[in-house]
Amino acid sequence: MPKYPARTYEDIGKDKIGFEYLRNKLKLKNLETKSSFSKKFPHVEKFFAERGLDLSKIREHSAKLIGASALTGTLLLAPPTNIKFLPSPQEIVEKLKVEGQKVSEDVPQKVFVESLSSYLPDNPRPLSREEEKNLEQLFSNLLGVKAKASLEGEHLNTTYGLIGAEQHLKRYPGDSVGNHGPYLKEGIAPGLGAWGYFARSQKELTPSLEEDEKWYAVVQTLYLPDWNTRFKYLRDWYKYRKVLIVNTDNGNAVVAAIADSGPAAWTGKQYGGSPEVMEYLGGPRYKKGPVLIFFVDDPENRVLLGPVEYNKLNLPEIALRSI
Amino acid sequence: MSKLFFDRLLSLEEVEKEINKVTSTKEEKDELWAIVDEIVHHRVLGCVLEKLPKKDHTEFLEKFHEAPYDEGLITYLTEKIGENIEEIIRQEIGGLAFELLAEIRGKETEKPDSQSEKK
Repeated sequence: MPKYPARTYEDIGKDKIGFEYLRNKLKLKNLETKSSFSKKFPHVEKFFAERGLDLSKIREHSAKLIGASALTGTLLLAPPTNIKFLPSPQEIVEKLKVEGQKVSEDVPQKVFVESLSSYLPDNPRPLSREEEKNLEQLFSNLLGVKAKASLEGEHLNTTYGLIGAEQHLKRYPGDSVGNHGPYLKEGIAPGLGAWGYFARSQKELTPSLEEDEKWYAVVQTLYLPDWNTRFKYLRDWYKYRKVLIVNTDNGNAVVAAIADSGPAAWTGKQYGGSPEVMEYLGGPRYKKGPVLIFFVDDPENRVLLGPVEYNKLNLPEIALRSI
Repeated sequence: MSKLFFDRLLSLEEVEKEINKVTSTKEEKDELWAIVDEIVHHRVLGCVLEKLPKKDHTEFLEKFHEAPYDEGLITYLTEKIGENIEEIIRQEIGGLAFELLAEIRGKETEKPDSQSEKK
């Protein structure tokens, strides 16, 4: 049956049915799960009720505790378990001085990857302030990018985590995947990014905004401990904020603009990258992997979005490899 | 760092994809994410408590209440339970993913019939 242009409202209806249906299904599943939990563990319900806490709100409770600990500094004093600490700043500076001579005439990516593998813990986890400082030095010395874990007092939930592949984002009303070549197979997200359209119309889409979508990153702003209390400020602060993303497996690095919030905590990932970002970080089959994400300290807006080409002398065996 | 001690064991990417397909605003997405989050909390805590001896429940709950983000709880649980709790949680989440996807994708196969009925 042909679809008439005048019947585009039918598409809206279909989408809406999909959302309502899924919401109802999930709500029902949630009720069943909670009911089953209450029957099996009534003492647990009682335990939380006595403390004025609902298990459903445990993530918010965790955020409050972490926020309070960060203020008093208690959390930072407690070392994470099962970790390998990075060398001290003095050690890393000395190492860089020695390796710095090699860097100019040898291959920077090789040195960078080796440095990362020796400095980072085996599995992604929030890094200590000291570890982050060392990495800031490494980025500055080897990549030539001034990047900070904490910028203007803001800090991501974690600077070392897993990134996953995202779809293109709609830049203006009526935008379609066909306008996002050459990476078309990833498709375009049906919904908008956390900050809505990049421009009100195609005419208003500037080259700068085009670059923002092309090289966009997704970070978990929704799980920031103070996201709700400082919403207006943080929403503006994070919009198109430049971040340095480093693939810790191969050393490929890219500067991206934050343009969406996510992924959900239960996906096991902490960040997302546009098709272009993911292609550069790991090649066409790269869908998920460990990365470092630091804010780019660029008050004069001089750093361009896109690949950090410190590695023009790529080592074929490790650079731009597919994972 | 709004996190829970079991976050790194979660992997419900397929469920996320299904949610992305039907949500058109950030608010809709956040709402569905929050519901899944609640289901996950209850299922993970339920499977942990089933394995944990009853005598240790209160001690564990105290620790969890004090620091729900502390990954050291995995070590604590492994010692108390004597089994690989990480694997147990992963299996629970795998089962949950299967259940959720079966429900979501069940609807998709129904869609063509319901639409043809309307026509």
